[in-house]
Amino acid sequence: MWHRHSCLCALGRPEPVCIGSFSPGRTDKSVCATRDETTADVWRAATAVAALHNAHRMVRVPINGIGVIAPGAIGVDAFRAQLASGASAIAPVDRFDTSGLRTHDAALVRDFKPKDFIAPMKMRRMNGLSRFAVAAAKLAIDDAGGAIGADTGVAMGTAFGPVQTSVEYMKEYVEKGAALAPPQLFAESVANAPGSHIAIEWGLRGFNVTITQRESSALAAAMYACAQLLKGSARAALIGGVEEVNEMLFSVLDRLGGCAMGEGSAVLVANAGTRKPYAWLSGFGIARDTTATISDWGEDASAVARAMRAALDDAELDTVDAIYASANGNVRADRLEARAIEALFGDRVPIVKTKQIFGEYAAGGMLQFVAAILAVDEQRYDRVLVNSLSAGGGIVCAVVTS
Amino acid sequence: MRTPDLATRIAVTGAGIICAIGRNKGEVWQSIVESRDGIGKLTRFPGETFPTDIAAEVGELPSHKRLSRTDRLAVVAASEAITQAGEFPRERAIVSTGTSTGGLLEGEDFYLHGRTRASRVLQQPTSGPSDAVARAFHLGGGVLSNATACASAGAAIGMAADFLRSHHADVAIAGGSDALCRLTYSGFNVLQAVDPAPCKPFAADRKGITLGEGAAYLVLERWDDAIARGATILAELCGYGASCDAHHPTAPAEDGSGAQAAMRGALAEASLAPDAIDYVNAHGTGTLLNDSAETKALRSTFGDRVPVSSTKSYFGHTLGAAGGVEAVISVLALLHQTAPPTLRLAKSADDCTLDYIPHTPREMAMTNMLSNTFGFGGSNVSLLFRRV
Repeated sequence: MWHRHSCLCALGRPEPVCIGSFSPGRTDKSVCATRDETTADVWRAATAVAALHNAHRMVRVPINGIGVIAPGAIGVDAFRAQLASGASAIAPVDRFDTSGLRTHDAALVRDFKPKDFIAPMKMRRMNGLSRFAVAAAKLAIDDAGGAIGADTGVAMGTAFGPVQTSVEYMKEYVEKGAALAPPQLFAESVANAPGSHIAIEWGLRGFNVTITQRESSALAAAMYACAQLLKGSARAALIGGVEEVNEMLFSVLDRLGGCAMGEGSAVLVANAGTRKPYAWLSGFGIARDTTATISDWGEDASAVARAMRAALDDAELDTVDAIYASANGNVRADRLEARAIEALFGDRVPIVKTKQIFGEYAAGGMLQFVAAILAVDEQRYDRVLVNSLSAGGGIVCAVVTS
Repeated sequence: MRTPDLATRIAVTGAGIICAIGRNKGEVWQSIVESRDGIGKLTRFPGETFPTDIAAEVGELPSHKRLSRTDRLAVVAASEAITQAGEFPRERAIVSTGTSTGGLLEGEDFYLHGRTRASRVLQQPTSGPSDAVARAFHLGGGVLSNATACASAGAAIGMAADFLRSHHADVAIAGGSDALCRLTYSGFNVLQAVDPAPCKPFAADRKGITLGEGAAYLVLERWDDAIARGATILAELCGYGASCDAHHPTAPAEDGSGAQAAMRGALAEASLAPDAIDYVNAHGTGTLLNDSAETKALRSTFGDRVPVSSTKSYFGHTLGAAGGVEAVISVLALLHQTAPPTLRLAKSADDCTLDYIPHTPREMAMTNMLSNTFGFGGSNVSLLFRRV
């Protein structure tokens, strides 16, 4: 007998996943299919009925835990207080020399002690990004309460990833030669190293991907993770973002002009743990502004509106109570977003800006997302739209609900 | 939130490829049929010395002042795929690219010589290829970039299929792109994972990978949409499985359990039993650990029944692009009903005891096949394709 469940049990899942208060289509598909019946046509006939049955059924993903390593705040409670005070973590950079540059400020994580979160032997194998991410994941898992199962996936977002590690590797490459550069740096030079360390630390054997879509990275990672949870390919997910301010990146962004840079990591626990959900991820929309150049924002507000509309449709909503804007201080980007919001919502919906507190790219874009989730948790809003507009024209929007 | 509906069939309506054995599908398949590899002397970094000196290079590409080499490879491959797919709604088409290095080559030039424009360095973080393809072909559905090491393109294709199934997009240009760069060429040498001779996957005398470069894309659509617009369907993407070893930053789990979970995930999505699979295009890098672990995973999933081959013996390990390049090879194999061989497999290793289709292509009836890609960090992806 070939059993549908035993197939899914490749990741140790004993039963179909059920997200929140609704059963997604997968539940109905999880009837047993014998080996004799597993031709695609037979299966599709069965699943077509289930698909019709489940058409338009709303499903959403609970956020049960949050871990934050932010500029100016370690832990979700400190981050909550930072948001409430509105105090900006953007300050003069003392990590490297900024003389000769136009910009001298960034939002740096300053009071992070990795040894509080990671064993010394393990820490030696991790670059700065991995340390941020593993620490944020630990905070998130502790916050969610209870154990996290092996059938958990990991989706991380990072705009620039391991640029610092690549620079360090090239320095060794130049000084010692191609054959003697340190293998440890090479192992950490892949963008998915932080997600990999998280999986190793907690034995998480579900999907493990890293999305790198500039300013939209964290929201795109969340969109991917939710798709996996809803279709049942993992029971739970860690959804995170991570970023690190370094000299090379800072100097390049300085030449292009624009917003203050942030760093850190934030990780969400989705559909696991014992804690009451902070909020629910209820919809996503994606689009691209075809007028954008490769390293700048474009001018087509209708594309931004299309992504926002798609996220509302996905959440089966007509409007929201607030918009957590992408607004990062770049004149072109902010003007584009403002026009799109006005076209879709007029002036009816409050716009909340957060990046003056922790900068752009903070935790790979995840801090803005966490700010929206906390606003729903604090019952300030029931339905929030979160925007991310990336240079190059990519747009990802998400809807968070109570 | 709309759930990816697994009852929605995904059609492949276009495919494009550029790698060391050809600059389009025709050239690539001709090389496959003639058992002709694209491995030669490393020329990309003149004046710099490495412990090994061979690679599977693509050669010169049209220059472009704003695009990295990885971006340009991506545009060439995507152009072939999009042209083949014909007229589709551009405003609802997403681009989903896997890449591990992005514009790292240009980042290295910036670091070593300060000679590259600063804006190019911004493409180092790997969003460049998707942005370049979307801009070149005026695609308005969205851009996604996946940087999950050597599993990147497989994950990018799976992600695209999910977003079609949930109607977040109507068409997806999905694949991968990676150019050779110093960091990866040096890094794999430092790990002692590069064979000084052309790689010999599954062979007794295998010593590691041969580094390659390339790009490949599929055009994916929901089956009914493709039929409705009269598109020619090349193959069906029936399943996507993803897993993580959770074992080691660079080495695979030796028992192959992670690889097995990915393959079983793909089978589950396609609602197929293992005995429905006719051929597996293996990850087959040529390293001691991968080929042994993957063989264990294949054996425990399929027994010793299913023919397996590694086409990395032709075009090397294209890293983040591998899942895309090998997805296009898989579609071609189904179209031609011919399984590509594993080159240079004079004698299989004692721990590699399957049918690896040595030396020459094998004409055989194939309905369903798997394409495996695994990467650093223990990420595993398996894609299941079906003949139309």
